[in-house]
This record gives sequence, structure tokens and C-alpha cells, in this order.
Amino acid sequence: MTASDMLALLPLLLIAGSSVAVLIAAAVGRNHAVAFGLSLSGLAASFCSVFFVPATQVTALLDIDGYALFFFGLISAASFAVALLAYGYLRNRDIDKEEFYVLLLVATLGAMILAASSHFASFFLGLEVLSIALYALIAYFGDRPLPVEAGIKYLVLAASSAAFLLFGIALVYADLGTMDFARIEHILAANPNPNLTLLLPGVALVVTGIGFKLALVPFHMWTPDVYQGAPAPVTAFVATVSKGGMFALLLRYFAQSGINRFAPALLVFTIIAIASMLAGNLLALLQSNVKRILAYSSIAHMGYLMVALEVGGAIGASAVVFYLVAYFIMTLGAFAVVTVLSAEHRDADQMEDYRGLFWRRPVLALVFTAMLLSLAGIPMTAGFLGKFYILAAGAAAGSWALILILVIASTIGLFYYLRIVVILYQQPGDANQPLPLRMPAASLVLAALTVILVWLGVYPSWMLQAIHTAIGSLL
Amino acid sequence: MTMFLQSAFYVAAVIAIISTAMAITRTVAVHALLYLVVSLLAIGVVFYAMGAPLLAALEVIIYAGAIVVLFLFVVMMLNLGGEARQSERQWLSGKSWVGPIILSAILLAEVIYLIVRAQPAGGIGAMVGPREVGLALYGPYLIGVELASMLLLGAVVGASHLGRSAPGRTGAGT
Repeated sequence: MTASDMLALLPLLLIAGSSVAVLIAAAVGRNHAVAFGLSLSGLAASFCSVFFVPATQVTALLDIDGYALFFFGLISAASFAVALLAYGYLRNRDIDKEEFYVLLLVATLGAMILAASSHFASFFLGLEVLSIALYALIAYFGDRPLPVEAGIKYLVLAASSAAFLLFGIALVYADLGTMDFARIEHILAANPNPNLTLLLPGVALVVTGIGFKLALVPFHMWTPDVYQGAPAPVTAFVATVSKGGMFALLLRYFAQSGINRFAPALLVFTIIAIASMLAGNLLALLQSNVKRILAYSSIAHMGYLMVALEVGGAIGASAVVFYLVAYFIMTLGAFAVVTVLSAEHRDADQMEDYRGLFWRRPVLALVFTAMLLSLAGIPMTAGFLGKFYILAAGAAAGSWALILILVIASTIGLFYYLRIVVILYQQPGDANQPLPLRMPAASLVLAALTVILVWLGVYPSWMLQAIHTAIGSLL
Repeated sequence: MTMFLQSAFYVAAVIAIISTAMAITRTVAVHALLYLVVSLLAIGVVFYAMGAPLLAALEVIIYAGAIVVLFLFVVMMLNLGGEARQSERQWLSGKSWVGPIILSAILLAEVIYLIVRAQPAGGIGAMVGPREVGLALYGPYLIGVELASMLLLGAVVGASHLGRSAPGRTGAGT
């Protein structure tokens, strides 16, 4: 490993280093502000390092190219926002706080590894680093029943899906003799009719493992319970960083291993995309819990992303990345509002918590409205442009069936987003409801996210430019 | 020679399948554990026959040794008190130990036979010794080793936190 390799790993080393620094600082003396400051500076340093790190392949395991660096930036920025949310959320709660930041940084590292993986070994290790930290983060409030239930559900299902994934990797390796994505593509290109007896089950099992992490239908059962049970900042993390890292890997796997040239694989992806879009939106209609609604809505959003993934090529890939950026912003924003409104012993997940919010906290209600409208895909927001790019990519490839279902599913989705919006502006039933505590750090996050949301929705060319550069190194 | 190694491989593989099937169908946890140990030992023999003695040793030391002992700890911790002695007597009575004993005896005979008959560099595939494993881990897969260390860090911190804030214990932390 040369010096330039070490420099390329700098964004990862900074995250890993700051997690150890937080741990050592906590061992010297527990101090919430110190742990918080160390994590923030680690994440910020990692974000800044992305701009000058040289793009290079570091051993067979990690491909630190422009694509990986783009996602490093996105993931560290999202974790930065989650850390800011967590500070206000944890501050008034009677629990050890320093471990939260260690686990958050370790999970961030896992998601970054996923985004840079060009090899099944680093894929699996990154996934496990992410998952193991998430088990503890989800069940962080171990003295309450709901988080513990969510943590155990996530543990059992994630562990069994990891076993599926590992078995799938073993089958692919047994068939092709390599775990390197680029070499898989090389072997498949040299042999257009490979023996599919081991390869197809292997790929199917790998897709199961990936589908679980992304909560695609039919691997979505854990999502509503985990979203509901996990503390709101952790839910934001699960919804954005964990899924984003995995989707970055899926896109790379698709682009580099050439696995999508098999008709059966494409058919499976089409079915998964359609099922996720429809099931996510239809099931969300039946919910009355805001966190569960957002959980089902995230299932639907993953379905939209699968549509763009299916299209493939440069246009499909940039549609995926742009939509992921928009999804990060609006999901973080929505969960930031939930975090800000959460009381000490219960997260604000009931519809009643939001009734008449506009009359109590007008700015917060407006921000939440913007996030929900973006999730629904209303113009002037990043969510609209993202959906527009997916539709354009689908139309360019002529996948009319998928586009039709995307439009139908989005229309269904509009209903439950607007239902929350309507409740925000109703007259409050009980005017004396206590106001939640102010969280300055979280307000900062909300302001920044709203600005970026509208900025991207009106003037997206700078982001598109960055995405084109990133995609260029992938394809 | 290859024929002989292959038959050793298949016998051990069949034992692994049988004992795993038995492990997941037993109703008493301790009986299931006995079969699980046999299953892990059989996989160790499979590795040995395939020319990976280091993996075989690790399989026995880590899985059949350390992890099963952990399982036993949990089973014993869940059965404290006077009833435990009664139930332990029940577990050890009957013929529950016959199956695992027979399967392990076959495995033992196989291992002795392999060690006595096989050449030092014997194996179905290429021989992979500790040296090759070490060179691979600290060469091309160095990042993997480092990642495993971060994984363990996350696991230790998470476990210690969850262990301290277990339900029923109040006033966790500062």
C-alpha cells in the first residue's frame, strides 16, 4: 500500500480515527459536548477531504473513484446532519451519550465502504460494520420496550439476510472463481452463455441481501417497526445513509459486473420495482403513525429508484444518483421535524402531535410542508426534479409499463402526504399543548435542508454537473 | 490418493448434514447443542480434507470451542435453581448422547486415518497453509482485516452500552 493509496483512503481514515478519538475522550472523561464536537469535526474533515483526494483503486477491495468520492461526501454530510439532530435529542435524556457518536461514526464508515466496494469481501465487511453499529443504535434506549423490539427485529432479520447474501456470494465465487466485480464482468463478457445453474441462484441470493437492506418488497417487513421503534435521529440515519450506501453499491455492482445482461435478473428487478412502488404507497394509506407513513413512503421511493436502475446507462445512473440526493435531503428534513417535536419519553409519531402545528410553530410547519411536498413530487422541489429525471430516463429507454406504474403510485402517494399537510394547518384542538424544547442545532439542519431542497428544485445544474463527473468514472 | 480424500470429504459432509438436521429438530436445547458441536467438527474435517488445515483448526477452536461454550453458558444461566438439577438429570438420561457419540467417533476415525495415511501436502485442492493465509490477509486483504477491527469496535461499544442500559436498570449513565 503506497502513500497515494493512504491519501485516497483519507475520508475513511478520518471517520475511523474520529470514532476512536471519541472513544478515548469518553474514557478520559465523559462529556457530551466533547464527543459531539469530535464527531462533527471528523465528519466535516472527511467531507472536505473528498475534494482533493486522488481517485485511485486501493487494492482489489476498494475503488476510490469519483463515484465513490461523491457518495463519501453525501454520506458524511448526511451523518453530520444526523449528529446535529442527535445532539439536541440526546441532551435532555438520561442515558450515556458518548457511545451514540462512536456507533454513528462506525456505521457511517460501513456505509462509505459499501459505496466504494468493488469486491464482494469489502461489500460484506462494509455491510456488517454498518449493520452491527445499527443494531445498537436502534435499540439505544434499552430501557424502553419499543426500541428494544425494533432492535431485536432488525438484528434477527439483518443477520439472516446477511446469511443469504454470504451464501449467494459463495455460489457466485464457486461458479466464476472471483469476487471482484470487474473480473466478473470480464469473465461474463468472454463467455456470453455461462452456466447459470450456480450463478443465477447466487445472484438471486445476493439480491435478497441487498433488497433487505433497501427494504424493497418483498423484503420490507422490518421497515415500519424499525422506523417506529428507533429514536428519530437513528431512523433518519437508517432511511438515508444506510440505504444510500447500499444503493450506491447496487448501482456499481450493476454497472461493473454486467449482471444485468441476463433477462431473468432484469425480470426480477422489474417485479421488485413494481411491487415496491405499489405496496409502499398503498400500505402507507392505511397508517396513522407518521413514522410508519414515512417508512412505507421510503419503500415506495426505493421502488422509484429501482426504475431508474433498470434503465441503466449514463442517463439511468445519473437519474439514480440525483434522486438519491433529493431523497437524502427530504427524508432527513422530515425526520428532523419529527426529532424536533419529540418529547422526552416518546417520539412525535402520532398524527395528533402535528395537529395545528402551523399555529404553534409556523416555520417548522412550513419546513415540514416543503419536505412532504418534495416527497410527493410537487414542482419547485428537489423531489419533483428527481422524479422528472427518472421519468425522462424511463421514457428514453421505452419502459412504458414501469413509467405508468410510477405515475399511478405517485398519485396514490400524494394522498397520504397531503393528509399530513392538512393536519398541520388545522386549528389545534388543545391550544395548551406544551411546546417541545427548542433545539438550535436541529433548527440549523432544517434551515440548511430547506434551502438546498428549493435550490436543487429550481437551479439543479451544479448538482447535475457533479453527478455527471461522478458517473463518468463509473461507466 | 485423491479417491481416498474425496471419500473422506463426502463422509464428513454427510455427517455435517445429518448432525445439522438433528440439531435443528431437537426440542431440548442441550441436545441440539451436542449435534451442533458434531456439525462444526464435521465441517472442520471437510476443510482438512480439502487441504486447508488452518481453517480446520480455526473451525474447531473458535466455533466448536469458544462459541459453543458461550451457548452452554447461556443455557446454564437460564436454568438456575433447584429445577435445573432435575432437568439436567433428564437431559443426560436416555439415549440422547448415543447419536452424537457415533457421529463423532466416525469423524475421529476419519481424522486419524487422514493424518496417518495422507502425505503432508495432501488435499483435494491446493494446500493452503497458515503462511499463505497470513500473506493474503496482510497483503491484498489488509483493508479487510482493518475493517474487521472496526466491526469489532462497533460490536464491543454497542454490546457494552446495551448491556448497561438493560430493561429494569435505571439511572444509566451520567
